[in-house]
Amino acid sequence: TAGNKILHFGACRVSMSMTEIRAGFTAIKANIQARDPIRSLSILSHPHSLHKVNSSDRCCMTHHLFKFYVDKVFKHCKTEDSYVNRKISSIANSFLSMKRKLGQCHEQNQCVCGQESTEKFKQILANYEGLNVTSAAMKSLGELDILLDWME
Amino acid sequence: EEALLPAPQNISILSTNMKHILTWSPVIIPGETVRYSVEFQGEYERVYANESWIPISECSLITAMVCNITEDISATVAYNLRVRADLGARRSEWGTLKGFFNRNSTSLTPPVMKVIADGYHLLVELEDVGPAFQFHVLYWKKGQERRMQQKVVKEVSSVVHLDTMEAGAEYCVKAQSYVEAINRSSSFSQTQCVRAQGDTSMWL
Repeated sequence: TAGNKILHFGACRVSMSMTEIRAGFTAIKANIQARDPIRSLSILSHPHSLHKVNSSDRCCMTHHLFKFYVDKVFKHCKTEDSYVNRKISSIANSFLSMKRKLGQCHEQNQCVCGQESTEKFKQILANYEGLNVTSAAMKSLGELDILLDWME
Repeated sequence: EEALLPAPQNISILSTNMKHILTWSPVIIPGETVRYSVEFQGEYERVYANESWIPISECSLITAMVCNITEDISATVAYNLRVRADLGARRSEWGTLKGFFNRNSTSLTPPVMKVIADGYHLLVELEDVGPAFQFHVLYWKKGQERRMQQKVVKEVSSVVHLDTMEAGAEYCVKAQSYVEAINRSSSFSQTQCVRAQGDTSMWL
C-alpha cells in the first residue's frame, strides 16, 4: 500500500505516509543535493548521528525535527524549478500533517523531552545557524533521507 | 482597452478512490480558443509560506476544462485550488474553488472483486486502484457465517489464495477497501459465492 507506517513512541502512535514522502524526496534528491556545495558538513549528523538518541527521547526528537523542517527549512527551499517546488510542497504538507499528530501526543504528555533530545536538537540548530539560511535549508532538505531512515 | 476575460466558474473537484480531478465551466468567447492554468496551495503554503501558490505545469495554458491534481494533493491537509483563463494578451482574474479540499473526503467505492473456485482452492482477484489501498477480505463457508475469516491484502499483484475448501461445499466472499493515509474504508462489495469441486457425500 502507500506504505503508511504506524510509528510507536511509547503510548504515542502516529500513522505516517512514509512511502509518499520518500517518493517525493527521491524524485528531487539529486537536484537538491546538487545545490549543496558544502558536502563535508552535516546538519543532522554532526557531531553525533541521530541513531545515538535513546528510545525514550525518540518521540520528542521527532517532534522537534518536524517543527524544525516546517518552521525553518522548507520556506527557504524555493527553486526556479516548478517540478521541484511541487515535490517540496508535497513533503512540507505531509510534514505539517504529521507535526500536528505528534503535537497532539506532546500535549497529552506522551512525548516527553529528556535532556538528551534537548541537547541534540540544540546542536542541530547550531549547525543550521552556522550557515547562511539558504545553504542551511538546502542542506537540511538534502539530508531528509537521514531523518526518514532514522524514523523507520 | 480590451475587456477583461471572465474568470472560470463552477470550479469543483471530483474525487473518487484517492484520484482527484479538478473541473470548471468553459469561458466562452465565440470563435476563439481560451486556455486555462491551474495553481494549488496547501495548508503549509497558506500558514508558513506567505500564502504562496504553486503552478501545475501539466495544467498550464491548456484548452481542456479538466486537470488531474492527484499527484499534488499528496498530504492529508486542506488544499486551495484556483483556475485562470487566457486568450492571447487577455487574462482573467483567478477563479477559486469554494472552500478547501482535503483528500480525506474522497469517495471510496466497494472493490471490484472476482471469486474463483479452482478445484478445492478459494481464490479472489481484486482490482488494483492504486498504491494507497489495501483490502479486507471476509470469507466463510455458507451456513457458517459465525466462523467468518478475514484476510488483509496489502499488495494487489495477483490472485489471492484464501482457503482450501471442502469438496462440494459452497463458500462466500465479500471485501472492502481501506486507505490508511486517511484511515477510512469503503462499504463492502456484493457477496459472491462459489462451490468447490467434488460432491459433499465424500465427507459423510
